[in-house]
Amino acid sequence: MTSFKPTRRTLLKTGTAAAALATFGPGILRHASAQDADLAPYKSAQIDWQQVSGETITVAVIPASYFENLITLAPQFKALTGVDVRFEKIPPAQIRQKSVIDLTSKTGTYATHAADPMYYALYAANKWVEPLDTYLNDKTLTDQAWFKLDDIIPAWRSANGIDGKLYGMPYDGEVTIQVYRKDLYDAKGLKPADTLEAYMANAAALNAPNDRVWGAALRGVAGAGQNMYIYPSIFREFGGEWMKGGKLTVNGPEAKAALAWYVDIMKKYAPTAAANWNWPDIADAFSQGTVASYIDAHSSASVINNPEKSKVIGKVAYARWPKGPSGKRTTSIWNWGFPINSALPEKKRKATWLFIQWAASAETQARTAHKFAGPTKRSGVNRTSVWKDPDYIKLMNGFGENFVEATMGALQEDTDVDWRPRVPQWPAIGDTMATAIQSALSGQATVKAALDDAQRRIEPMMRG
Amino acid sequence: MTAKRLRIFALLAISMMFLLAWAFPIIWSVLNSLKTDSDVLAYPPKLVFAPTLEAYRDVLFGSGSILPNLLSSVIISVGTTIVTMLMAVPAAYALARLRFRGKKFAGFYVLATQMLPPVGIIIPYFLVLRNIGWIDTYQGIILIYLSFSLPFAIWLLVSYFEDIPFEMEEAAYLDGASRLKTLWRIIIPQVRGGIAVTVVFVFLNAWNEFLFAVVLSGNTVRPVTVAMFNFVSVEQTLWAKLAAVSVLAMLPVVVLGVVAQKHIVKGLTVGAVKGGGRR
Repeated sequence: MTSFKPTRRTLLKTGTAAAALATFGPGILRHASAQDADLAPYKSAQIDWQQVSGETITVAVIPASYFENLITLAPQFKALTGVDVRFEKIPPAQIRQKSVIDLTSKTGTYATHAADPMYYALYAANKWVEPLDTYLNDKTLTDQAWFKLDDIIPAWRSANGIDGKLYGMPYDGEVTIQVYRKDLYDAKGLKPADTLEAYMANAAALNAPNDRVWGAALRGVAGAGQNMYIYPSIFREFGGEWMKGGKLTVNGPEAKAALAWYVDIMKKYAPTAAANWNWPDIADAFSQGTVASYIDAHSSASVINNPEKSKVIGKVAYARWPKGPSGKRTTSIWNWGFPINSALPEKKRKATWLFIQWAASAETQARTAHKFAGPTKRSGVNRTSVWKDPDYIKLMNGFGENFVEATMGALQEDTDVDWRPRVPQWPAIGDTMATAIQSALSGQATVKAALDDAQRRIEPMMRG
Repeated sequence: MTAKRLRIFALLAISMMFLLAWAFPIIWSVLNSLKTDSDVLAYPPKLVFAPTLEAYRDVLFGSGSILPNLLSSVIISVGTTIVTMLMAVPAAYALARLRFRGKKFAGFYVLATQMLPPVGIIIPYFLVLRNIGWIDTYQGIILIYLSFSLPFAIWLLVSYFEDIPFEMEEAAYLDGASRLKTLWRIIIPQVRGGIAVTVVFVFLNAWNEFLFAVVLSGNTVRPVTVAMFNFVSVEQTLWAKLAAVSVLAMLPVVVLGVVAQKHIVKGLTVGAVKGGGRR
């Protein structure tokens, strides 16, 4: 029981102890030989990378391969800047809670964290995180000609901005696209759907539960990032507007039509259990050949192409979201971004910015994607230039027909900054909507009753 | 005779049904933990398959080894149990035997601390620990665990202490024993069963705790309940590994349960029949 010595507290504050402890901790850094790595691409930036050498910062991320790859490269960042980074891996369900507790209490535990774009309205309203333009415009901290902010996917930047100010630097993101079984579609002479109506018809044509093939599947499980991740796309495609006359409205006629479509396709052509599925479950089912099509994140392509699990490799193709009655296609603009915690002292904020600049740079993006030595390469890089890199395209094309075209098309044309209502009250609103959608999907409430109830609950949240 | 047999048979069948419903998730976890990821997803579910210990090897010795987390859990649970028992036994004895001002209030207060829903106090706990620098430390987590294990242990133990006839204590005093000596020599051996039950429950509660642990822990102190959550990633759910960790996390609890079973059953009935309604 040596741990009862209060000296532990002082020990923890020093980076050396932290590094020693990390050896026993779960977030072990595998020490890639940092000395061998070529730092020249970074050193061409006209800034002093070593200006806050000796600082230690803690970064909260979620357990996901795209962050694992970054963690593997952390020794290179240390060699470049002299800044120690401790990573803490927190499950996605808890990272919001933990970072909000940290931010409200101004304890400065996490210098930055993998942030949900929907939370910036809340963060900015409370001044919990720094506007990044201060750092971008400081010539001692950022070489703009080298960093090339404009190269970072515009939709993700606008998702992470409030009133034109950027609060979180996109690191990795995704778009939602149609994923379908080309062999099954071809056998019936079907084309990937261009409209939601056609998507329903395709699902009907392929639905054969007796042969264990269902027509389609969408995330059904309740959650702000689950059914309230898919529904907003449908809502916008039906022409829905979250803000009507300055009032958040979730029970308008477009909303009812959108939810009715969602309920319809799930009830008629999805496996019964899909009402409770999140996307890994959909990808698992699809990889076992039981689902003919789904609409979800493009990054799921790596799971359905995993040779250890998947039975459908070589039979998969992709297309953009089907158009809704409004003529629009609307993808998710989800991305994990890095904000800077305002509670930090100045030197640590600078160290954090250097980390963010390094992680979001074209060089690090490439080194964690097609140039990564490990088995899992990233598919959600944040830069248009990387998406156009022939080596990256070659890697992505391995996921199946039309993957790069569908993803790039969605990124460039289907994004919509008002995909979900961006208000500080989002956490509560997202949950309320998720519950309402689930009650409609499960048949507990009619579409109208579910949405009217949600509207009644949301109104008081928006007051005051 | 046949009617009686029939009744026994019916009862047995009903209990088997309940048992199966309860045991199914556990059996399923054990089966999945021995499969490969592709076998886990196979349909119809494979009951006959080539068992592999791959998942266990990965979670124990792979890159995301949970051994440090199991160690964290052991330190936290054992630490919590020891400190709780050291404080709960004298406290319960005092509440059961001594007459002092505010006794009723003290007894009620111990219970009242349990009336707040944990979610409501998690942020204050976080702030307190943060201010004294005890976030992500064993002493911090154990301190917070005491807040629920101690009242629970005290209330459980009080009923056992009350069951001991006062005459036994008196006899010891007549023989010249001090109160402490009496407690140690006479009383405690009488409530061995009750203490064993309390130890098991306190240990179980600490071992299975998740809500406080996920907020108050970090990289240094991370119990297995929190660590295993990382196998449900945003990219995919690693079913075989998740099942393997669940089985490993269950193991100490099952062993403890089997060892202490005799005491648990006896302890529960003793408390129920004799002590229960007296206070």
